[in-house]
Amino acid sequence: MVKAYTQEHVYKHPWERVTSASWRKFTDPENKRILSHIVEVDTLNRKLDSASGKLYTTRVITVHAPGPWFIRKIIGQDICHCVESTIVDAQSRSMQLTTRNSSLQKFVEVEEKIRYEPHPDNPNGWTICQQETSIRIKPLSALASMAEKVEQRCAEKFLQNSVKGREVMERICKYLEAESRGISI
Amino acid sequence: MAIHRGGKSSSASSSSPCAHLRTAYHNCFNRWYSEKFLKGQWDKEECVSEWQKYQSCLSQHLEDKNLSSFLEGKGAADSSNQADSGSPVGGASTGVSQ
Repeated sequence: MVKAYTQEHVYKHPWERVTSASWRKFTDPENKRILSHIVEVDTLNRKLDSASGKLYTTRVITVHAPGPWFIRKIIGQDICHCVESTIVDAQSRSMQLTTRNSSLQKFVEVEEKIRYEPHPDNPNGWTICQQETSIRIKPLSALASMAEKVEQRCAEKFLQNSVKGREVMERICKYLEAESRGISI
Repeated sequence: MAIHRGGKSSSASSSSPCAHLRTAYHNCFNRWYSEKFLKGQWDKEECVSEWQKYQSCLSQHLEDKNLSSFLEGKGAADSSNQADSGSPVGGASTGVSQ
């Protein structure tokens, strides 16, 4: 059983600002209240390819995902870890994030891919964000009967959180816009 | 049950001992990213001392958080195509490899 979703969003901000905002999304303390499902984000690895202008980053994201009691009972925890791998290519102006859960893989596999690129209609002013989420429940016998329910719940949660994520992104972009006007122009 | 966290799940919200060092690193990184990297100045890495302090704190505390197994994946920033490697959480007690 696999569920896949794609979403698209256009930010009316240049790619540089949007990707800067993306780095701040989970780490600026002001967003903690809205993104309350994010417990912690730690950077484990960062590599700069100085020849090509590519930046590789691996982060671990601790997510608090309270579910129905029977889920907690089965899996014994209500937080899970995700590993996020990011490649920013400054030369071609693209940023790609891939996030997968690394805990609970026996039960569910969630993969989220986000791509930020300059919008073809206005490459210096707008940014297009393409997001692809796939959720796969493992056909484990004990879970088979409730798998559908879990999957649905998981999907709802993801969609809710991605809306919140966008709101936060828009806000940081506005903030960065104001900052750049005030300081550098 | 293969996956459980030794009854520590309630500590999830406690703040990380590395939070200050992490913030210092983030501030430095964010500045470098927008002011240098995005402007084509990617020839050299900055924030090195902030990074080292943050990482050494992290490697001391990853084990508490059952995260040390992630360090094995170090260097694999584009690991998205990696095969499913089973249960990293379950095998997290092997120590910090850094």
